[in-house]
Amino acid sequence: MADVAVVDSEVADATVVQRTPRQIAWMRFRRNKVGVISACVALFFIFGAYLAPIITRILGLSNTKTYPETLNGFAMPVGGAGGMSLSHPLGVEPGAGRDLLALLLYGSRISFSVAIITSVASIGLGMLIGITTGYFRGKVDAIVGRFSDFLLSFPSTFMIIALALPLTQRVEALHIAQDNGARIVVLVVFFVFFGWPGFARLVRSQAFSMRERDFVMAAQALGASSWRIITKELLPNLWPTAIVFLSISLPGYLAAEAVFSFLGVGVQAPASTFGLVLSDAVTYWRDDPAYLIIPSAYLIIIVLSLNLLGDAIRDALDPKNSPS
Amino acid sequence: MSGTKMARGHFRRRLVASTAATALIAAGVLVGTASGASAKPVSGGTLYFITNAQQFDNVDPARVYTGRDIAFFNSYLYRNLVSYKPVKGAAGSSLVADLATNTGVPSNSAKVWKFTLRPGVAWEDGKAVTCADVKYGVSRPFAADVITNGPQYLVDALAIPKLADGSSAYKGPYKKTGQELFDKAVTCTGTTVTFKLNRSFADFNYALTYPAGAPVPAAKDKGDKYDLRPFSDGPYKIAAYKIGDEMHLVRNTKWSQKSDTVRTPYPDDIVVRFGLDENVRDQIMLDDSIPNTVNLDGLQPANLRTFFADPKRESQRLNVIDPYIRYQAANVSAGHLDCLDVRKAIFFAWNTQALIDLAGGTVFYGVPGDSPVKSVLGLDYAPTKGNIHDPAYKIAGNPDEAKKYLAAAKTSCPATYARVTDPTKGFTEDLPKTASQQKASVLIQAAMKAAGMTVNFNFIPSGVYYATLGDTTKQNDLSRAGWAADWANASTVIPPLFSTPSSNNYTQNTNDPAFAAFKAKSDAANAMTDRKAQAKAWQELSQYAMDQYWILNPIFGKGQEEWGSQVGGVYFWDPQGTFGFGQLYVKG
Repeated sequence: MADVAVVDSEVADATVVQRTPRQIAWMRFRRNKVGVISACVALFFIFGAYLAPIITRILGLSNTKTYPETLNGFAMPVGGAGGMSLSHPLGVEPGAGRDLLALLLYGSRISFSVAIITSVASIGLGMLIGITTGYFRGKVDAIVGRFSDFLLSFPSTFMIIALALPLTQRVEALHIAQDNGARIVVLVVFFVFFGWPGFARLVRSQAFSMRERDFVMAAQALGASSWRIITKELLPNLWPTAIVFLSISLPGYLAAEAVFSFLGVGVQAPASTFGLVLSDAVTYWRDDPAYLIIPSAYLIIIVLSLNLLGDAIRDALDPKNSPS
Repeated sequence: MSGTKMARGHFRRRLVASTAATALIAAGVLVGTASGASAKPVSGGTLYFITNAQQFDNVDPARVYTGRDIAFFNSYLYRNLVSYKPVKGAAGSSLVADLATNTGVPSNSAKVWKFTLRPGVAWEDGKAVTCADVKYGVSRPFAADVITNGPQYLVDALAIPKLADGSSAYKGPYKKTGQELFDKAVTCTGTTVTFKLNRSFADFNYALTYPAGAPVPAAKDKGDKYDLRPFSDGPYKIAAYKIGDEMHLVRNTKWSQKSDTVRTPYPDDIVVRFGLDENVRDQIMLDDSIPNTVNLDGLQPANLRTFFADPKRESQRLNVIDPYIRYQAANVSAGHLDCLDVRKAIFFAWNTQALIDLAGGTVFYGVPGDSPVKSVLGLDYAPTKGNIHDPAYKIAGNPDEAKKYLAAAKTSCPATYARVTDPTKGFTEDLPKTASQQKASVLIQAAMKAAGMTVNFNFIPSGVYYATLGDTTKQNDLSRAGWAADWANASTVIPPLFSTPSSNNYTQNTNDPAFAAFKAKSDAANAMTDRKAQAKAWQELSQYAMDQYWILNPIFGKGQEEWGSQVGGVYFWDPQGTFGFGQLYVKG
């Protein structure tokens, strides 16, 4: 069945227990130190984001509370390094006096949610469309293929900026979500709408070559339905590709969310995300550089660790394509 | 007039229009002194102005409506019948004759005003300025389709019938519809121009300090394009005006000092440089790299603090009380903040301190105010009772006091109480969509939360902000707004903000039970010719507006000015809220 079961040469040795492809991949992954470390870092931040209410409660902080005693008469943090202190480990936000750590934890929760939902949805959609077009070819492939070409060549960034406001109003009018909820819905829908064609193309080409392989032909000869061949024969062989793509697109969407919030398209104050904190920090960089450096570093560490993790997963699942 | 343009007009009147100050001016100048006050002015040289803006909003006399631009062009290019006295301090708010020989002669209970033109005043082509030119200039604001953004006092006050939609029956000198009506309201006899008004208007001559009443030669008027090259009867004329680049003024050789008691033109050339990057502009001021430069903008907050902390720049800066108040207008119509106890709860919960700090601190931004009429209005201002003088008021917010009023609201107006305290509903505040207001929303939200209230925000793009608020169906519960009196009389504050259902009244109070009595008193005050009785009426009406919490937490604002070390003759011209441009000179 699974074609990935590339068997190690050692398997011939009777004393060695046969390992599943999953075990092999896991073993390869564990050997990659960078991958393990970046996985730990990424998990740390993801847990931090989703456990934000608990962490802030333990530290006695809140993301909506202002701490006026930390600011001077010009609303700038008292003390060096952006007002860092024991009670405010990353300092405070100039202007309003919220705790920066609480802001980043809660902010990363929104950013992660958008990135995860978007990645999973666009990859799921891309997988479905990619396999279908790759397997059926012909007319289906021609029509869907041209459509995805159209989407890929579309200036999606401008489109998102231009249409975000009217679409948000439409979402609010339909009572799907309100305020920031509506903005997140619009952002996710946009990301998914423009995000699937890239992956669909990749999957299509793989499905293209796979449908000519013996195990598919055997299934066809046995009279299996197209649905069965797609779900039971092709899909399992494409999981590794999907996982690799997921781990690469996750930090991409995380950064994209920050960019669009920065441009004022995504979530709006008084909520906070990476993009909002950074766009706010830009106006204070002369007076309070720590306020720009800390959130930037926070975002860089997350994106970098996710990227390295993605590389490690790719190496583990698909050693043929890895540079090492 | 398109929606956008209307909004811009309103915005400017509110946030950049001027006020006159009759008392209190001594308190106006807080930091810094006018440089070279005792030094002898020098003629010659080039005086530079720098700004981040790409152009002047308007140059056409009928369309200029910001204190700074009015003062600038009145000092250099056009002459009005009357002008504010070009001196520092309280005296600066008194009127002096300019194009006219006196400050106007009222008759028939100030319903008729006469001005006699001064002889010897010439246009830049040498032709004499005539009464017909004044009459033509006054007719232009009636052409609402061409002459946008300017003040509407002349259109409102001249004795010309109004149509059903509230617009004048006279449509201006281009369409000439209703020209005979205008010719009856404004008449010329020799060099005397007579204005007939539709009501007693005791301070009509103050309205003529706006260049909308300045003469314009009909032969030179190009309608909309006049905005790019107005014809000068002042000491300078436009040699070049290129949007995004510069405006160059040179001496108008036909102007004579004998005919002018207001202006003392010293520099040979005046150059306004547009479109400077904010950082470049600030660096020029911080380094004094172009010492004969005046900054037309404000510095960025961080640079402002640096500049004002530098002892070397002490004689190159002013920090003064400006003409503006900024406040939150409560929409008191049914279904909004129709509950006095809830409005009081919001007032007491408000964290004024943090919002002031955010905007530059009490040093640069302003102080909590207690009236819709700012203290610089002198006669019309009196400290009100209650509000910020309430013993329970705390500048950083008093959530406990707010909760008491909320508890009262529970029985007095349960529906409003339930809405503002419901975490899933709450009330909504309109704010301009700017970085600083988004930041302010954080502070507002935190303060309301501390008192058990929920607030949401509707961020409206700045360009359409006031146009959106002006639509009663789109305005939310609480709206940030600002206002400056157009001259030293609260008749330019109370009626537009509270007693007319106009687009400037964001309290939507017309259905308030007390509105009829308030309006009657306000209308009566507007027509009073006894200035002291009028001032008392304005004070009482201010107190009433504050007691009703129609506006919440007003701030009496401040403004800052900076100039280079080689610029002399600088003073703050209170009525215009900016420099007295006509006396600036370049030190030799």
